[in-house]
Amino acid sequence: MKKVVTVGIGGRSFVIDEDAYQKLNLYLTRFKEKTGMGVQSGDVMEDLEQRIAELFTEALGTRYQVVNITMVNNIISQLGMPDGGQMEDDFGVKNEPFYNMAVKKLYRNPDDKVIGGVCSGMALYLNIDVVLVRVLFFVAIFMGSVGFWGYIILWIIAPMAYTAAQKCEMRGLPVTAENLRKFSTYR
Amino acid sequence: MNEINTDNIKSQMRKGVLEYCILSILNNNDAYASSLISELKDAKMIVVEGTLYPLLTRQKNQGLLSYRWEESQQGPPRKYYAITDKGRELLAEMDSAWIEIVETIALIRNNKK
Repeated sequence: MKKVVTVGIGGRSFVIDEDAYQKLNLYLTRFKEKTGMGVQSGDVMEDLEQRIAELFTEALGTRYQVVNITMVNNIISQLGMPDGGQMEDDFGVKNEPFYNMAVKKLYRNPDDKVIGGVCSGMALYLNIDVVLVRVLFFVAIFMGSVGFWGYIILWIIAPMAYTAAQKCEMRGLPVTAENLRKFSTYR
Repeated sequence: MNEINTDNIKSQMRKGVLEYCILSILNNNDAYASSLISELKDAKMIVVEGTLYPLLTRQKNQGLLSYRWEESQQGPPRKYYAITDKGRELLAEMDSAWIEIVETIALIRNNKK
C-alpha cells in the first residue's frame, strides 16, 4: 500500500504514487534549471508537461490507474535533459550539494511578530523559545539604551523573511520543493 | 575514450542541423510536438526528447514558428506548430547553406591524390 497524490499535468489529472511524484517533481525542477531560460522556460515546460501527460496516458492504458515509479523512470529516460544528457540520478542517495544544503540565516519572522519580528527570528536562529528572547529584550530595554538600540539595529540589519525560500533558511531547513510548499503562501 | 569522442562529434553534428530539420519538417506539414518527435526519432536525429522543447520555444520566440491549439479526439487540445514566413526565409537560406556544405565536403573528399 502506498500513499498517492493527485496532480494535474498538461491539462489532465493523474493519480500518482508519492515516491513517483517526488521523482517527477525533481525531474521537472532539474529540467527547468537546465534550460537556462529562467522565466521564459514557461512554454518549454508547458510542451514538456503535455508530452508527459500523453506518455502517462499511454503507459496507464486500461490496466493501471496509478502512475508508479517505474513509469516515471521510463519517461524520464525517454525525455532526458535539454542538453541531450540524462538526469543525474542522485535521488535520495547522494547528498546533493545544492538541494540538501541547509543554511541557517537570521531573518525577521513575519508570521510571528510583536514589533518587527526580530525576537522570533532570533529564537528560530538560536533554537530557543521565543518568549525567553522577548523577556530578555524587554528587560534589556529597561536596563539601559543598549537593549533598545540593539533591537533597532537588528531590525534594520536582519531582512524580513518574505519568500518561502527565506522562511526555510530562517528555520535552517533545506530549500526543497517539499519544504517550499510548506511555507508557500499560494495554497 | 576514442569511442566517446566519435559519439560526441556525431551528436554535435546532429545538434547543428536539428533546427534545420525542425523547420524542414514543419515546412511540409504543421505538426504537434509528439509527431515532430516521432519523426525526428525515426530519422535518428534525437536520442532524448528533452532537447527539442527548448529549441521549439526559442524558434517560436524568434518568430520562426507559430502555434495554435487544436481539438483532439483523445484528451485535451494539442499544440500545433507551424512555420512562419520568417521561418521560410531562414529555411531557404539554410537550404542553400546545406547544399553548399554537402558540395564542399564532396569536393574535399574527392580531392585525394
